[in-house]
Amino acid sequence: MRFADPAEYVIDDPEGGVFRVHRDVYTDRDLFEAELRNIFEGTWVYLCHDSQVRQPFDFYRARIGRRSVIVSRDEHGEVHGFFNTCRHRGATLCQTESGNTKYHVCNYHGWAYDAAGKNINIKDKDKGCYREAFDEQDHNLIPLPRFDSYRGFVFASLNPDVPSLDDHLGDGKVLIDLVADQGVDGMEVVPGRSDYTYNANWKLQMDNGMDPYHLTSTHSTFMKVVQRRAGGESANDQVESPDFRDRFAMKAGMYTLRNGHSMIWNDHPKPEQQPLWGMIDRVRENAGEVKAKWMLRSRNITIFPNLQFNDSSSLVLRSFIPLAPDKTEMKVYSFAPVDEPDECRRRRVRQHEDFFNSSGMATPDDTIVYADCQEGYLSYPGDYLQSFERGMATLIEGPDEEALELGIDPVTSLSGNFLGQGETAYHGPYREWVRLMRAGHNREKSMAAE
Amino acid sequence: MDEREPLAQGVDLLAREAMYIDLQRWDDWIALYTEDAVFWAPAWRTDTEMTGDVGREISLFYFENRAGLEDRVWRIRSGQAPALAPMPRTTHVVTNTVFEDPPTEDAMTLHSAWTCHVYSLRDRSQHAFFGRYEHDLRRVEGAWRIQRKKIILMNDYIPAAIDVFCV
Repeated sequence: MRFADPAEYVIDDPEGGVFRVHRDVYTDRDLFEAELRNIFEGTWVYLCHDSQVRQPFDFYRARIGRRSVIVSRDEHGEVHGFFNTCRHRGATLCQTESGNTKYHVCNYHGWAYDAAGKNINIKDKDKGCYREAFDEQDHNLIPLPRFDSYRGFVFASLNPDVPSLDDHLGDGKVLIDLVADQGVDGMEVVPGRSDYTYNANWKLQMDNGMDPYHLTSTHSTFMKVVQRRAGGESANDQVESPDFRDRFAMKAGMYTLRNGHSMIWNDHPKPEQQPLWGMIDRVRENAGEVKAKWMLRSRNITIFPNLQFNDSSSLVLRSFIPLAPDKTEMKVYSFAPVDEPDECRRRRVRQHEDFFNSSGMATPDDTIVYADCQEGYLSYPGDYLQSFERGMATLIEGPDEEALELGIDPVTSLSGNFLGQGETAYHGPYREWVRLMRAGHNREKSMAAE
Repeated sequence: MDEREPLAQGVDLLAREAMYIDLQRWDDWIALYTEDAVFWAPAWRTDTEMTGDVGREISLFYFENRAGLEDRVWRIRSGQAPALAPMPRTTHVVTNTVFEDPPTEDAMTLHSAWTCHVYSLRDRSQHAFFGRYEHDLRRVEGAWRIQRKKIILMNDYIPAAIDVFCV
């Protein structure tokens, strides 16, 4: 590693108007390993949504950093999280992404566990000639050290000493409420997965998910396709994705929250184009005027480190899994109120497919430029990036009026119009990166000293 | 009617479609489709089931008419899309074509296996997508045209991106 102290990778000087991130944070293998230990295996990470384990005995296989885990709903409706490994020989128990089963039976020697993780059969135990010491062991599946959920979003942590999920999310809960409260009768992952990988660091996705500055360049062809439809040059009338140009004069802003979360937002020029529009009266009645106003704004939310919502032309739930310094796995779903009328759902899925799928007309351009960045970092490794400072001249500490109205207390607020295309939302996640990486570094250093 | 004759004509059309895509003869490709042609690739909802309700579930591609493909072709030709410049090279192989219901004078449904090798000039990487097709063909003014194409993508763990010319 270039620097012993992880803080040196991020030059953070608000007084001087400076925020710079070193290229190594995306490429260095040792830093990547430290991120897995100190971030993905050290704080809370998102696993899945309740609707993916809706019924008793439903299970879903997920990953925390490098570890394969199972989320399972038992017969009483309680959701559990376990490491995906048999206590006997250690084989992986679940080979499928999801399913419904009363018992998880190991393929190898047939040890069986119920949906709450309890061992219910050790094959031919009575003939086993075991000593008492065997029975003194716990044969149940190993529960995840910390496991909790908020509004149906299931999180876990491998670190038993992590603060509560409630503390970790903090004001991020209000941002999640703006998603969860869209479904008066609950929310669901819309069937139809989009799983893909890209050849770049996980933070490229994290950053891009709070980057309004790239839309008009990276996605210029998407913008032109939308304009061609509106102008009648394209005969495609089955999808009405919004035109970015309409946003330029709209009010916009971004917040960084404690513990690495962030949100960027802008007023939506044509809220009637959003899938939620058809249900907004009922939502307003249920959630109140202020929340309903925020739900109709375009919002990109980052819940550090691996969950993002993009709520603009449709509501998208993205999570990412780091595989290598230069390889990341993405899981992307459309997310929707369970009860939404057909015309709203149709609008939602068409707008999602148009833009967000790995088969859409925008996401492929993002993932390809991530790879361009990854390659570019290696072309001149010893430098800090200049992509974190737009908006710093008007950045304020604490909440702005909009934040106060929403009831959040951000660390920083930036307000203006969309064309400001600020880069200050990154500061929160990178400060959390430094905090966790530094704490891990100091812990490892003191352990080595002992 | 001898069923081998329309089958041979259908197989010819499918091979022609593959050729037009691989040679990037986009106008010829689009002309194989009727204006009201549906182009549909369902997504997988689990490891074993695909989505089916295009109104309430996500598809990889769902175009209700030919204009959806025309938008994609416009985007390719613009040369401005990072994912499509440089444009990857492809080779499609379409084979094992059969019908289940016998063809009529002016309609038939063909089932095929396909593979598409995609070569990315950007990083010299290559990937093979593969799956199955269902083509609903209709005879329009004497010539067979595609009225509906359903694409099943078997390997849906996608390296970065997939587009209409990769399936």
